[in-house]
Amino acid sequence: MTHAVAAPTLKMGIPIPNAKLGMWLFLGTEIMFFTAFIGTYIVMRMGSRGWPTDTHVTHINIALGGTNTFVLIVSSYFVVISHDCLLTHQYSKAWRFMLYTLVLGCVFLGIKGIEYTGKIQHDILPGHIPENNRQAMEKVVTQFGALMDRKLAAEFPKEKTREDQRAELNSSIQTLTDKTPRTPAEEKTLKDRTALSRLNTEYISLKEHVRADITLKVPHEKLDAIRKEDNAPSKYEAVTLDEVNHKVDEILSDPETKSLAYGLTPAHPILYGNLFASNYFLMTGFHAIHVIIGLFMFILILMKGSALCVDDAILVENIGLYWHFVDLVWIFLFPLLYII
Amino acid sequence: MSDHDHDDHPSHGAAYLRVFIALCVFTGISVAADLVHMESKILLGAIVLAVAVAKALCVMMFFMHLKFERAWKYLLLAPTIILALALPISLRPDIGETYYTQDVQQQRDYEEQQANKHDSGHH
Repeated sequence: MTHAVAAPTLKMGIPIPNAKLGMWLFLGTEIMFFTAFIGTYIVMRMGSRGWPTDTHVTHINIALGGTNTFVLIVSSYFVVISHDCLLTHQYSKAWRFMLYTLVLGCVFLGIKGIEYTGKIQHDILPGHIPENNRQAMEKVVTQFGALMDRKLAAEFPKEKTREDQRAELNSSIQTLTDKTPRTPAEEKTLKDRTALSRLNTEYISLKEHVRADITLKVPHEKLDAIRKEDNAPSKYEAVTLDEVNHKVDEILSDPETKSLAYGLTPAHPILYGNLFASNYFLMTGFHAIHVIIGLFMFILILMKGSALCVDDAILVENIGLYWHFVDLVWIFLFPLLYII
Repeated sequence: MSDHDHDDHPSHGAAYLRVFIALCVFTGISVAADLVHMESKILLGAIVLAVAVAKALCVMMFFMHLKFERAWKYLLLAPTIILALALPISLRPDIGETYYTQDVQQQRDYEEQQANKHDSGHH
Protein backbone atom coordinates (compact mmCIF):
# COMPACT_ATOMS: atom_id res chain seq x y z
CA MET A 1 0.00 0.00 0.00
CA THR A 2 1.27 3.37 -0.88
CA HIS A 3 -0.58 5.02 2.00
CA ALA A 4 0.71 2.83 4.76
CA VAL A 5 1.40 5.79 7.03
CA ALA A 6 -1.75 7.71 7.83
CA ALA A 7 -1.57 11.46 7.47
CA PRO A 8 -1.36 13.14 10.90
CA THR A 9 -4.85 14.08 12.06
CA LEU A 10 -5.53 17.76 11.63
CA LYS A 11 -6.25 19.49 14.91
CA MET A 12 -8.80 22.18 14.47
CA GLY A 13 -8.82 25.42 16.41
CA ILE A 14 -6.37 27.25 18.59
CA PRO A 15 -3.53 25.10 20.02
CA ILE A 16 -4.28 25.71 23.68
CA PRO A 17 -6.56 23.93 26.17
CA ASN A 18 -10.22 24.90 25.89
CA ALA A 19 -10.27 26.16 29.45
CA LYS A 20 -7.43 28.53 28.74
CA LEU A 21 -9.09 29.73 25.54
CA GLY A 22 -12.23 30.36 27.57
CA MET A 23 -10.29 32.34 30.16
CA TRP A 24 -8.64 34.45 27.48
CA LEU A 25 -11.97 35.16 25.78
CA PHE A 26 -13.35 36.19 29.16
CA LEU A 27 -10.33 38.42 29.77
CA GLY A 28 -10.98 39.99 26.35
CA THR A 29 -14.43 41.05 27.53
CA GLU A 30 -12.91 42.20 30.82
CA ILE A 31 -10.46 44.44 28.98
CA MET A 32 -13.37 46.17 27.28
CA PHE A 33 -15.32 46.33 30.54
CA PHE A 34 -12.56 48.17 32.39
CA THR A 35 -11.44 50.37 29.53
CA ALA A 36 -15.02 51.60 29.26
CA PHE A 37 -14.69 52.96 32.81
CA ILE A 38 -11.14 54.17 32.37
CA GLY A 39 -12.04 55.81 29.04
CA THR A 40 -15.07 57.50 30.56
CA TYR A 41 -12.91 58.80 33.38
CA ILE A 42 -10.28 60.16 30.98
CA VAL A 43 -12.94 61.87 28.88
CA MET A 44 -14.68 63.44 31.89
CA ARG A 45 -11.37 64.45 33.38
CA MET A 46 -10.25 66.18 30.18
CA GLY A 47 -13.63 67.84 29.65
CA SER A 48 -13.80 69.33 33.14
CA ARG A 49 -11.45 72.24 33.71
CA GLY A 50 -10.64 72.55 37.40
CA TRP A 51 -10.82 68.84 38.21
CA PRO A 52 -9.68 68.25 41.83
CA THR A 53 -6.08 67.02 41.92
CA ASP A 54 -4.92 68.22 45.33
CA THR A 55 -4.64 65.15 47.55
CA HIS A 56 -5.52 67.25 50.61
CA VAL A 57 -8.84 68.02 48.98
CA THR A 58 -9.69 64.60 47.57
CA HIS A 59 -8.17 62.66 50.49
CA ILE A 60 -6.43 60.38 48.03
CA ASN A 61 -3.62 58.61 49.82
CA ILE A 62 -0.73 57.97 47.44
CA ALA A 63 1.26 56.02 50.03
CA LEU A 64 -1.61 53.56 50.53
CA GLY A 65 -2.21 53.32 46.78
CA GLY A 66 1.50 52.70 46.17
CA THR A 67 1.58 50.04 48.88
CA ASN A 68 -1.39 48.35 47.27
CA THR A 69 0.36 48.39 43.88
CA PHE A 70 3.33 46.69 45.49
CA VAL A 71 1.10 44.16 47.28
CA LEU A 72 -0.60 43.17 44.01
CA ILE A 73 2.71 42.86 42.15
CA VAL A 74 4.10 40.58 44.86
CA SER A 75 0.92 38.50 44.79
CA SER A 76 1.12 38.23 41.00
CA TYR A 77 4.69 37.01 41.38
CA PHE A 78 3.61 34.42 43.95
CA VAL A 79 0.95 33.07 41.59
CA VAL A 80 3.49 32.42 38.83
CA ILE A 81 5.84 30.82 41.37
CA SER A 82 3.00 28.61 42.53
CA HIS A 83 2.26 27.57 38.93
CA ASP A 84 5.96 26.99 38.28
CA CYS A 85 6.22 24.79 41.38
CA LEU A 86 3.27 22.70 40.21
CA LEU A 87 4.97 22.05 36.87
CA THR A 88 8.20 21.06 38.63
CA HIS A 89 6.28 18.78 41.04
CA GLN A 90 6.94 20.80 44.21
CA TYR A 91 3.31 20.54 45.26
CA SER A 92 3.52 21.63 48.90
CA LYS A 93 5.54 24.69 47.89
CA ALA A 94 2.91 25.46 45.23
CA TRP A 95 0.20 25.25 47.88
CA ARG A 96 2.15 27.49 50.22
CA PHE A 97 2.66 30.19 47.59
CA MET A 98 -1.04 30.04 46.76
CA LEU A 99 -1.72 30.70 50.44
CA TYR A 100 0.66 33.69 50.44
CA THR A 101 -1.22 35.06 47.42
CA LEU A 102 -4.52 34.71 49.24
CA VAL A 103 -3.11 36.55 52.25
CA LEU A 104 -1.78 39.36 50.03
CA GLY A 105 -5.18 39.65 48.33
CA CYS A 106 -6.72 40.11 51.78
CA VAL A 107 -4.07 42.72 52.65
CA PHE A 108 -5.00 44.59 49.46
CA LEU A 109 -8.66 44.62 50.47
CA GLY A 110 -7.74 45.69 54.00
CA ILE A 111 -5.78 48.70 52.72
CA LYS A 112 -8.64 49.49 50.32
CA GLY A 113 -10.96 49.36 53.32
CA ILE A 114 -8.79 51.89 55.19
CA GLU A 115 -8.93 54.19 52.15
CA TYR A 116 -12.70 53.85 51.83
CA THR A 117 -13.13 54.55 55.56
CA GLY A 118 -11.16 57.79 55.15
CA LYS A 119 -13.35 58.80 52.21
CA ILE A 120 -16.52 58.05 54.14
CA GLN A 121 -15.27 59.99 57.19
CA HIS A 122 -14.57 63.04 55.06
CA ASP A 123 -17.86 62.48 53.22
CA ILE A 124 -16.12 62.22 49.85
CA LEU A 125 -19.10 60.34 48.44
CA PRO A 126 -21.00 60.84 45.17
CA GLY A 127 -23.81 63.32 45.69
CA HIS A 128 -22.57 64.42 49.13
CA ILE A 129 -19.97 66.96 48.04
CA PRO A 130 -20.71 70.68 47.86
CA GLU A 131 -19.23 72.13 44.68
CA ASN A 132 -19.46 75.84 45.57
CA ASN A 133 -19.64 78.04 48.67
CA ARG A 134 -23.41 78.26 48.63
CA GLN A 135 -23.78 74.48 48.56
CA ALA A 136 -21.15 74.17 51.30
CA MET A 137 -23.10 76.53 53.57
CA GLU A 138 -26.30 74.65 52.88
CA LYS A 139 -24.54 71.40 53.67
CA VAL A 140 -23.46 72.74 57.07
CA VAL A 141 -27.06 73.81 57.80
CA THR A 142 -28.50 70.44 56.71
CA GLN A 143 -25.91 68.56 58.72
CA PHE A 144 -26.57 70.77 61.75
CA GLY A 145 -30.34 70.25 61.37
CA ALA A 146 -29.97 66.47 61.26
CA LEU A 147 -27.76 66.65 64.37
CA MET A 148 -30.34 68.75 66.23
CA ASP A 149 -33.12 66.35 65.23
CA ARG A 150 -31.13 63.43 66.62
CA LYS A 151 -30.27 65.18 69.88
CA LEU A 152 -33.80 66.46 70.52
CA ALA A 153 -35.37 63.10 69.68
CA ALA A 154 -32.95 61.36 72.04
CA GLU A 155 -33.73 63.80 74.85
CA PHE A 156 -37.51 63.86 74.35
CA PRO A 157 -38.54 60.55 72.79
CA LYS A 158 -42.21 61.05 73.68
CA GLU A 159 -42.70 64.24 71.68
CA LYS A 160 -43.08 63.50 68.01
CA THR A 161 -42.58 66.84 66.26
CA ARG A 162 -39.61 69.14 66.41
CA GLU A 163 -41.81 71.99 67.66
CA ASP A 164 -43.10 69.91 70.57
CA GLN A 165 -39.58 68.84 71.45
CA ARG A 166 -38.37 72.44 71.52
CA ALA A 167 -41.36 73.55 73.58
CA GLU A 168 -40.72 70.73 76.04
CA LEU A 169 -37.03 71.67 76.19
CA ASN A 170 -37.81 75.29 77.05
CA SER A 171 -40.51 74.49 79.58
CA SER A 172 -38.34 71.91 81.34
CA ILE A 173 -35.48 74.39 81.59
CA GLN A 174 -37.92 76.94 83.03
CA THR A 175 -39.27 74.47 85.59
CA LEU A 176 -35.79 73.39 86.67
CA THR A 177 -34.51 76.97 86.93
CA ASP A 178 -37.43 77.99 89.16
CA LYS A 179 -37.02 74.99 91.39
CA THR A 180 -34.89 75.46 94.51
CA PRO A 181 -33.11 73.61 95.91
CA ARG A 182 -32.15 71.25 93.07
CA THR A 183 -30.82 67.74 93.52
CA PRO A 184 -27.44 67.00 91.85
CA ALA A 185 -29.26 64.96 89.17
CA GLU A 186 -31.55 67.86 88.38
CA GLU A 187 -28.58 70.18 88.36
CA LYS A 188 -26.95 68.05 85.70
CA THR A 189 -30.15 67.82 83.63
CA LEU A 190 -30.50 71.58 83.76
CA LYS A 191 -26.92 72.04 82.60
CA ASP A 192 -27.31 69.54 79.73
CA ARG A 193 -30.60 71.02 78.58
CA THR A 194 -29.31 74.57 78.73
CA ALA A 195 -26.45 73.53 76.46
CA LEU A 196 -28.89 71.78 74.11
CA SER A 197 -31.05 74.87 74.04
CA ARG A 198 -28.04 77.04 73.26
CA LEU A 199 -27.02 74.74 70.43
CA ASN A 200 -30.56 74.87 69.10
CA THR A 201 -30.48 78.68 69.14
CA GLU A 202 -27.17 78.63 67.26
CA TYR A 203 -28.67 76.26 64.71
CA ILE A 204 -31.76 78.36 64.08
CA SER A 205 -29.67 81.53 63.84
CA LEU A 206 -27.24 79.94 61.39
CA LYS A 207 -30.03 78.45 59.31
CA GLU A 208 -31.92 81.72 59.03
CA HIS A 209 -28.82 83.71 58.20
CA VAL A 210 -27.90 81.28 55.44
CA ARG A 211 -31.46 81.10 54.08
CA ALA A 212 -31.76 84.91 54.09
CA ASP A 213 -28.20 85.25 52.75
CA ILE A 214 -27.32 87.90 55.34
CA THR A 215 -24.00 88.07 57.16
CA LEU A 216 -23.67 86.54 60.63
CA LYS A 217 -22.51 89.97 61.85
CA VAL A 218 -26.19 90.99 61.85
CA PRO A 219 -27.70 89.70 65.12
CA HIS A 220 -30.28 86.97 64.75
CA GLU A 221 -32.98 88.97 66.58
CA LYS A 222 -32.86 91.64 63.88
CA LEU A 223 -33.44 89.21 61.02
CA ASP A 224 -37.23 89.23 61.37
CA ALA A 225 -37.37 93.01 61.15
CA ILE A 226 -34.89 93.10 58.27
CA ARG A 227 -36.96 90.64 56.27
CA LYS A 228 -39.84 93.10 56.28
CA GLU A 229 -37.69 95.88 54.80
CA ASP A 230 -37.72 96.44 51.05
CA ASN A 231 -34.82 94.91 49.13
CA ALA A 232 -33.46 93.69 52.43
CA PRO A 233 -30.70 91.37 51.23
CA SER A 234 -29.07 94.00 49.02
CA LYS A 235 -28.61 96.37 51.97
CA TYR A 236 -26.57 93.91 53.99
CA GLU A 237 -23.45 91.94 53.31
CA ALA A 238 -24.07 88.38 52.17
CA VAL A 239 -23.23 85.50 54.45
CA THR A 240 -19.89 83.90 53.60
CA LEU A 241 -18.65 80.32 53.91
CA ASP A 242 -15.74 81.50 56.07
CA GLU A 243 -18.18 82.98 58.58
CA VAL A 244 -20.24 79.80 58.65
CA ASN A 245 -17.20 77.54 59.05
CA HIS A 246 -15.82 79.87 61.73
CA LYS A 247 -19.12 79.59 63.59
CA VAL A 248 -18.92 75.79 63.39
CA ASP A 249 -15.36 75.86 64.76
CA GLU A 250 -16.55 78.11 67.59
CA ILE A 251 -19.31 75.70 68.51
CA LEU A 252 -16.89 72.78 68.34
CA SER A 253 -14.30 74.46 70.58
CA ASP A 254 -16.81 75.75 73.14
CA PRO A 255 -16.58 73.37 76.15
CA GLU A 256 -20.33 73.64 76.73
CA THR A 257 -21.44 72.58 73.26
CA LYS A 258 -18.36 70.63 72.14
CA SER A 259 -19.56 67.14 73.03
CA LEU A 260 -23.15 67.81 71.93
CA ALA A 261 -22.06 69.05 68.51
CA TYR A 262 -19.72 66.12 67.91
CA GLY A 263 -20.03 65.05 64.29
CA LEU A 264 -20.62 68.56 62.98
CA THR A 265 -17.89 69.58 60.53
CA PRO A 266 -17.02 72.67 58.52
CA ALA A 267 -17.69 72.17 54.79
CA HIS A 268 -15.34 72.94 51.92
CA PRO A 269 -16.46 73.01 48.33
CA ILE A 270 -14.74 70.71 45.81
CA LEU A 271 -15.33 71.58 42.18
CA TYR A 272 -16.32 68.39 40.32
CA GLY A 273 -16.04 66.52 43.62
CA ASN A 274 -19.12 64.41 42.94
CA LEU A 275 -17.98 63.40 39.48
CA PHE A 276 -14.57 62.58 40.92
CA ALA A 277 -16.06 60.47 43.71
CA SER A 278 -18.35 58.61 41.28
CA ASN A 279 -15.41 57.75 39.06
CA TYR A 280 -13.20 56.78 41.97
CA PHE A 281 -15.72 54.48 43.59
CA LEU A 282 -16.93 52.96 40.33
CA MET A 283 -13.44 51.99 39.20
CA THR A 284 -11.90 50.95 42.50
CA GLY A 285 -15.17 49.29 43.54
CA PHE A 286 -15.39 47.09 40.46
CA HIS A 287 -11.70 46.31 40.84
CA ALA A 288 -12.25 45.31 44.48
CA ILE A 289 -15.11 43.00 43.41
CA HIS A 290 -12.70 41.32 41.01
CA VAL A 291 -10.18 40.91 43.81
CA ILE A 292 -12.82 39.26 46.00
CA ILE A 293 -13.71 36.83 43.20
CA GLY A 294 -10.00 36.04 42.81
CA LEU A 295 -9.77 35.25 46.52
CA PHE A 296 -12.56 32.69 46.17
CA MET A 297 -10.63 31.06 43.33
CA PHE A 298 -7.51 30.81 45.50
CA ILE A 299 -9.57 29.23 48.27
CA LEU A 300 -10.82 26.70 45.69
CA ILE A 301 -7.22 25.71 44.96
CA LEU A 302 -6.18 25.71 48.62
CA MET A 303 -9.09 23.39 49.47
CA LYS A 304 -7.48 20.68 47.36
CA GLY A 305 -4.81 20.51 50.06
CA SER A 306 -2.34 17.70 49.54
CA ALA A 307 -4.33 16.48 46.51
CA LEU A 308 -2.95 19.45 44.55
CA CYS A 309 -0.88 17.99 41.72
CA VAL A 310 0.38 18.59 38.20
CA ASP A 311 -3.13 17.92 36.79
CA ASP A 312 -4.24 21.20 38.35
CA ALA A 313 -1.62 23.16 36.45
CA ILE A 314 -4.09 24.41 33.84
CA LEU A 315 -6.58 25.47 36.52
CA VAL A 316 -3.86 27.32 38.41
CA GLU A 317 -2.61 28.89 35.19
CA ASN A 318 -6.12 30.16 34.37
CA ILE A 319 -6.64 31.55 37.85
CA GLY A 320 -3.20 33.11 37.53
CA LEU A 321 -4.20 34.73 34.22
CA TYR A 322 -7.26 36.20 35.89
CA TRP A 323 -5.21 37.45 38.83
CA HIS A 324 -2.60 39.04 36.56
CA PHE A 325 -5.42 40.81 34.77
CA VAL A 326 -6.67 42.21 38.10
CA ASP A 327 -3.09 43.35 38.73
CA LEU A 328 -2.95 44.94 35.25
CA VAL A 329 -6.10 46.94 35.90
CA TRP A 330 -4.62 48.24 39.13
CA ILE A 331 -1.36 49.10 37.33
CA PHE A 332 -3.41 51.56 35.24
CA LEU A 333 -5.79 52.71 37.97
CA PHE A 334 -2.96 53.68 40.33
CA PRO A 335 -1.35 56.37 38.13
CA LEU A 336 -4.66 57.52 36.67
CA LEU A 337 -6.52 57.97 39.97
CA TYR A 338 -3.75 58.59 42.48
CA ILE A 339 -1.04 60.48 40.64
CA ILE A 340 -2.40 62.36 37.63
CA MET B 1 -0.44 18.68 27.41
CA SER B 2 0.70 15.10 27.94
CA ASP B 3 2.35 13.94 31.13
CA HIS B 4 5.62 13.64 29.32
CA ASP B 5 5.80 17.41 28.97
CA HIS B 6 5.73 17.90 32.71
CA ASP B 7 8.48 15.47 33.56
CA ASP B 8 11.29 17.60 32.19
CA HIS B 9 9.68 20.99 32.72
CA PRO B 10 12.42 23.46 33.56
CA SER B 11 11.77 25.98 36.30
CA HIS B 12 11.31 29.59 35.22
CA GLY B 13 11.74 30.83 38.78
CA ALA B 14 14.82 32.93 38.06
CA ALA B 15 13.20 34.64 35.04
CA TYR B 16 10.06 35.39 37.07
CA LEU B 17 12.19 36.91 39.83
CA ARG B 18 13.86 39.26 37.32
CA VAL B 19 10.46 40.37 36.00
CA PHE B 20 9.26 40.88 39.55
CA ILE B 21 12.27 43.07 40.38
CA ALA B 22 11.69 45.08 37.18
CA LEU B 23 8.05 45.64 38.22
CA CYS B 24 9.12 46.85 41.67
CA VAL B 25 11.62 49.25 40.11
CA PHE B 26 8.91 50.60 37.78
CA THR B 27 6.55 51.15 40.71
CA GLY B 28 9.36 52.99 42.48
CA ILE B 29 9.85 55.23 39.44
CA SER B 30 6.20 56.30 39.29
CA VAL B 31 6.08 57.02 43.04
CA ALA B 32 9.37 58.97 42.80
CA ALA B 33 8.03 60.95 39.82
CA ASP B 34 5.10 61.99 41.98
CA LEU B 35 7.27 62.87 44.98
CA VAL B 36 9.62 65.27 43.14
CA HIS B 37 6.67 67.62 42.40
CA MET B 38 7.62 68.52 38.86
CA GLU B 39 6.32 71.69 37.27
CA SER B 40 4.69 70.14 34.25
CA LYS B 41 1.65 68.02 35.03
CA ILE B 42 1.68 66.75 31.47
CA LEU B 43 5.25 65.46 31.84
CA LEU B 44 4.30 63.74 35.10
CA GLY B 45 1.29 62.16 33.41
CA ALA B 46 3.39 61.02 30.47
CA ILE B 47 6.01 59.45 32.75
CA VAL B 48 3.60 57.57 35.00
CA LEU B 49 1.52 56.34 32.07
CA ALA B 50 4.62 55.20 30.20
CA VAL B 51 5.71 53.33 33.31
CA ALA B 52 2.24 51.81 33.59
CA VAL B 53 2.41 50.59 30.00
CA ALA B 54 5.87 49.13 30.59
CA LYS B 55 4.62 47.33 33.68
CA ALA B 56 1.56 46.06 31.84
CA LEU B 57 3.79 44.69 29.06
CA CYS B 58 6.03 42.94 31.59
CA VAL B 59 3.06 41.29 33.28
CA MET B 60 1.40 40.29 30.01
CA MET B 61 4.52 39.00 28.28
CA PHE B 62 6.07 37.03 31.13
CA PHE B 63 3.54 36.40 33.89
CA MET B 64 0.73 35.75 31.43
CA HIS B 65 3.14 33.92 29.10
CA LEU B 66 2.05 35.90 26.03
CA LYS B 67 5.65 36.13 24.83
CA PHE B 68 5.70 32.36 24.46
CA GLU B 69 2.24 31.90 22.97
CA ARG B 70 1.58 31.33 19.29
CA ALA B 71 -0.14 33.72 16.89
CA TRP B 72 -3.62 33.10 18.36
CA LYS B 73 -2.87 35.82 20.90
CA TYR B 74 -3.15 38.48 18.17
CA LEU B 75 -6.39 37.02 16.88
CA LEU B 76 -7.85 37.17 20.35
CA LEU B 77 -6.44 40.39 21.74
CA ALA B 78 -6.38 42.71 18.72
CA PRO B 79 -10.19 43.13 18.38
CA THR B 80 -10.71 43.76 22.09
CA ILE B 81 -7.89 46.26 22.28
CA ILE B 82 -9.12 48.11 19.19
CA LEU B 83 -12.65 48.26 20.62
CA ALA B 84 -11.31 49.32 24.00
CA LEU B 85 -9.26 52.17 22.54
CA ALA B 86 -12.07 53.20 20.19
CA LEU B 87 -14.26 54.28 23.08
CA PRO B 88 -12.11 57.06 24.57
CA ILE B 89 -10.76 58.10 21.18
CA SER B 90 -14.23 58.48 19.70
CA LEU B 91 -15.61 60.20 22.79
CA ARG B 92 -12.79 62.70 23.14
CA PRO B 93 -13.56 65.08 20.24
CA ASP B 94 -17.26 64.78 20.92
CA ILE B 95 -17.73 65.23 24.65
CA GLY B 96 -14.15 65.06 25.94
CA GLU B 97 -13.45 68.60 24.87
CA THR B 98 -16.89 70.12 25.14
CA TYR B 99 -18.39 68.05 27.89
CA TYR B 100 -20.14 71.07 29.32
CA THR B 101 -21.70 73.97 27.53
CA GLN B 102 -20.40 77.24 28.91
CA ASP B 103 -23.44 77.80 31.07
CA VAL B 104 -22.85 75.16 33.71
CA GLN B 105 -22.55 76.01 37.39
CA GLN B 106 -19.18 74.27 37.77
CA GLN B 107 -17.76 76.08 34.75
CA ARG B 108 -18.89 79.45 36.11
CA ASP B 109 -17.42 78.59 39.52
CA TYR B 110 -14.17 77.66 37.86
CA GLU B 111 -14.02 80.93 35.91
CA GLU B 112 -14.73 82.82 39.14
CA GLN B 113 -12.00 80.95 41.01
CA GLN B 114 -9.50 81.68 38.27
CA ALA B 115 -10.50 85.35 38.27
CA ASN B 116 -10.06 85.57 42.05
CA LYS B 117 -6.68 83.89 41.84
CA HIS B 118 -5.68 86.37 39.15
CA ASP B 119 -6.77 89.33 41.28
CA SER B 120 -5.00 88.17 44.42
CA GLY B 121 -1.88 87.55 42.34
CA HIS B 122 -1.75 91.26 41.49
CA HIS B 123 -2.06 92.51 45.07
